[in-house]
Amino acid sequence: MVNFTIDEVRAMMEKKTNIRNMSVIAHVDHGKSTLTDSLVSKAGIIAQSKAGEMRFTDTRKDEQERCITIKSTAISMFFELSEADAQLVKGADQIDSTKTRGFLINLIDSPGHVDFSSEVTAALRVTDGALVVVDAVSGVCVQTETVLRQAIAERIKPILFMNKMDRALLELQLQQEDLYQTFARIAESINVIIATYSDESGPMGDIKIDPSKGNCGFGSGLHGWAFTLKQFAEMYSAKFKIDLEKLMRRLWGESFFNPVTKKWANSRETPEHQRAFNMFVLDPLYKIFDAVMKFDKEATAKLLEKLNIELKGEDKEKEGKHLLRVILQKWLPAGEVLFQMITIHLPSPATAQKYRMELLYEGPMDDEAAVAIKACDPKGPLMMYISKMVPTTDKGRFYAFGRVFSGVCATGQKVRIMGPNYVPGKKDDLYEKSIQRTVLMMGRNTEAIEDVPCGNICGLVGVDQFLVKTGTITTFKDAHNLKVMKFSVSPVVRVAVEPKNPADLPKLVEGLKRLAKSDPMVQIIIEESGEHIIAGAGELHLEICLKDLEEDHACIPIKTSDPVVSYRETVSEASSEICLSKSPNKHNRLYMSAVPMPDGLAEDIDSGEITAKQEFKARGRVLADKYGWDVGEARKIWCFGPDTTGPNVLMDVTKGVQYLNEIRDSVIAGFQWSTKEGVLCEENCRGVRFNVHDVTLHADAIHRGGGQIIPTARRCLYACVLTAAPRLLEPVYLVEIQCPEAAVGGIYGVLNRRRGHVIEENQVVGTPMFVVKAYLPVNESFGFTADLRSNTGGQAFPQCIFDHWQILPGDPFDPKTKPAEVVATTRKRKGLKEGIPELSNYLDKL
Amino acid sequence: MLYLIGLGLGDVEDISVRGLRIARSAVRVYFEMYTSLLQGPDGGVPALEALLGRSVIPADRETLEEKASDILFGAGDGDVAVLVVGDPMAATTHSDLILRAREAGVPVKILHNASIISAVGCTGLQVYRFGAVVSICFWTESWRPRSFAQHVRENLRRGLHTLCLLDIRVKEPDMTALMRGRKEFEPPRFMTVAQAASQLLEIVSQPPTAEASDGESTPEGEPTRDVPDCFTPDTLCIGLARVGLPDEKILAAPLRDLIDVDMGGPLHSFIVCGGLHPLELEFVRQFALDLSKLPQAMK
Repeated sequence: MVNFTIDEVRAMMEKKTNIRNMSVIAHVDHGKSTLTDSLVSKAGIIAQSKAGEMRFTDTRKDEQERCITIKSTAISMFFELSEADAQLVKGADQIDSTKTRGFLINLIDSPGHVDFSSEVTAALRVTDGALVVVDAVSGVCVQTETVLRQAIAERIKPILFMNKMDRALLELQLQQEDLYQTFARIAESINVIIATYSDESGPMGDIKIDPSKGNCGFGSGLHGWAFTLKQFAEMYSAKFKIDLEKLMRRLWGESFFNPVTKKWANSRETPEHQRAFNMFVLDPLYKIFDAVMKFDKEATAKLLEKLNIELKGEDKEKEGKHLLRVILQKWLPAGEVLFQMITIHLPSPATAQKYRMELLYEGPMDDEAAVAIKACDPKGPLMMYISKMVPTTDKGRFYAFGRVFSGVCATGQKVRIMGPNYVPGKKDDLYEKSIQRTVLMMGRNTEAIEDVPCGNICGLVGVDQFLVKTGTITTFKDAHNLKVMKFSVSPVVRVAVEPKNPADLPKLVEGLKRLAKSDPMVQIIIEESGEHIIAGAGELHLEICLKDLEEDHACIPIKTSDPVVSYRETVSEASSEICLSKSPNKHNRLYMSAVPMPDGLAEDIDSGEITAKQEFKARGRVLADKYGWDVGEARKIWCFGPDTTGPNVLMDVTKGVQYLNEIRDSVIAGFQWSTKEGVLCEENCRGVRFNVHDVTLHADAIHRGGGQIIPTARRCLYACVLTAAPRLLEPVYLVEIQCPEAAVGGIYGVLNRRRGHVIEENQVVGTPMFVVKAYLPVNESFGFTADLRSNTGGQAFPQCIFDHWQILPGDPFDPKTKPAEVVATTRKRKGLKEGIPELSNYLDKL
Repeated sequence: MLYLIGLGLGDVEDISVRGLRIARSAVRVYFEMYTSLLQGPDGGVPALEALLGRSVIPADRETLEEKASDILFGAGDGDVAVLVVGDPMAATTHSDLILRAREAGVPVKILHNASIISAVGCTGLQVYRFGAVVSICFWTESWRPRSFAQHVRENLRRGLHTLCLLDIRVKEPDMTALMRGRKEFEPPRFMTVAQAASQLLEIVSQPPTAEASDGESTPEGEPTRDVPDCFTPDTLCIGLARVGLPDEKILAAPLRDLIDVDMGGPLHSFIVCGGLHPLELEFVRQFALDLSKLPQAMK
């Protein structure tokens, strides 16, 4: 264990080429936190008496109890490469000119459960590389794909680690070739995902996983051993007199060796030829496993001698699994191997910020801030992104946690704090305050530090009250915001909360505010009826939020309603007529209609493929090519909504109307309003294209102001929806269930009862496990996990991830249908008038 | 019968004798108080009630525009009067109420009165030489219509004067509150001559085509770089305050000099002068803020 003073750490922070910011991402239960432990025990930077204890980064009590990571946790570490390894670090930006061998590694351990993937998003934003952990037994799972896709979208370079090899050997008793095939399959699946979401000619270059390059590790986090092909190539390169890198290439893939003739080949030419990976890598491992697990002391001693491993003291007494663990830890220590992978294959801030800048910065690509971020310039203006809030020991206060992209962030420095709604040149969502303190986040603890230069991750004290969740900190007056993070999950499950004792309401409100801060995604909504709503990604997410609220934030007993789902309102046909609404003074008339968007467009808007900020001509081209819209019309999108980014558009299809510009903003305001609170039950609208066909206006500007136009636009849009066969959309989960074959029948039964349907059923190759994929409406998912367990004897484990919106079949105007029921209960809950409003309220006659 | 009765320029006593008689005997009397206002405290309601010797119902925009049926209730048998400051059919938007009355079979009578549209004669400018009337509205952060300046330019090009009515906001709904589903009202505001002048000055001194940002053509018919603007900071303008009342005030000066004048309490109006007839010029000279800056009368 290396101990450093804060001054020494600060000195290392200066060397932007010798820093690695990385996150550990994976599917739930694939062993991220356990693997992280082996890194911490190797190189935790400041004296940590408790290091080595299991799950160091799970700092919360409930995390330890449930053995599941809930919040992402950061930790800084130090690692020194050997002389020879330092030569393997390629590129001037990856290691400093004097080849300093010490590296500062800032690691963020993230949760694997889908409900907390917003934490992963927040972690990815502040890091440049990702260690993707995959369980070698269960293979690539749904969440592996989700987080990897997110990483690639943020231009985070991945490296792979195949975990739980001990299980593959001890429990599944896989043969060497089978194990090789398993590894090859996992690498292949990962590469398919990478190829789908990235481009080899992109700015990151080729980021595919290739074990022969050493960017793929194998091992067991639990037992603390790991290797890449580099470790084995080092052992053999002297013996074979083959160059290290060349030998690494030979140790993977279709490469065979004949031990008799000592000849290499690209295929199994003779029966003596054996796959090099099996022969040189797996065989020695299998021998050790074999000898130790069969309690063959003699063979074990022989092997130990060969490997130059000497057992000390009480280790000599160990047997079986324990002995195996000791031997492998000594032979192939996990920490060392992982650190080598991280330092050699992941990019430094100096490398990564070059290609990440254009994705990070909203402003012009050539202003002072953009240039400084690109160069990772400590002398440039300060640009820092706050990605999440971390609770302090002081109740109700938070550290603002984030990454310094340029400049230096110092204690006492006066900075501009810009929230997500800040617009350059305006004063909204902008504060000028001093940073009270800068701190290093060290797992459970923090350490005060004078200042932090760019390329590093740190926490700030004293800015939490000016930001809700995220924001940009800068010293540059004309700086634009750093882009807001896009989450892969949406808060579709909500509950209403109230204090058990009504007098505690102020405490609840205060607690809700704190909860909103502490979680990157949770939404707090106050309904018209006075209800307080918490919206989260799933049942588990809500459960944790409610527990936090009750125990930490509000500290009062709370009553919770049954969870409900958010719906969306849409249309299924074009409006039956062009709808007319008149302004209150009757002098202005708007003519509009609604049309459903073509399939896929709403999703494209969600994913940011088509956005409000795009250049209008380029956007018009995409809409025309992909969705067959008229080019001229497609260029005339007035805006997106709700919240100016949502999946509905307002289009100007008028011809030569005077003064249209003057009422444009008022119509847009009405559009934002009516897409946020739809006509059926005030849920958001989705997938609707509204056309403005014509307007008749009063000759004088004063008689066509916002007061006249905004309510009129809203009424007209409502009429459009009502005449276009409105429908409700409900959220649907993609469920992935792992279970043994015998339990599959039970799964079908449970899914059928809950309106779910199976889309895929596969056996995991080489195991008796089955993976069932199904769609399940979120509304039917409450209690699904428990139901599933009881019907399969506890053998099936589901992962639910929000997948898409789907029309809830039935006409909401027909009181017998399900949508009508949903509309009625939603309206009742929100304190709205009973029944969908009549069309005559909104549609005027000529 | 529905009577729309003009109240004249602002003094309660400007009501016509016939109007007074009808208002006193009507079943209900509404007093429209959002397009203009009477002198006196509380928008002139107490003074009006004292004169009529009866109670009147103050009617805001919402009552007149959205609750027309309430006003028309019973008007078929008895008389209902709506009192409107100025002339009921000038510069206001009450035509819809009349249409509704016709629809409901209620006969309508209009009693005209003086309006600022005719009272501008007090400046000596000939009413024959006025072009289209425009209103200048309060700008907000995001809503800055400029089309009225274009009307002024069109009038100027034809040598005509422009009467500008200045925005008054009494009981206007607050839009941000409205979008949250609540109805709140902004505090009452009246545009002054100085405010109007500074908004016009901003439009006039802004370089053309500055608006053409998001790929659209310039707002309708604004001057381009090639055609010099006929509306400049030096164009002669006249500010008017409380026309027709004892403390009436009129000032004539180039546009740029009017941005910091204090004309006193509401209501204000504004004139952009076109080409001046010698007689007009002579008349206007008596209102000059600074005589040396006015054009000289032709010999």
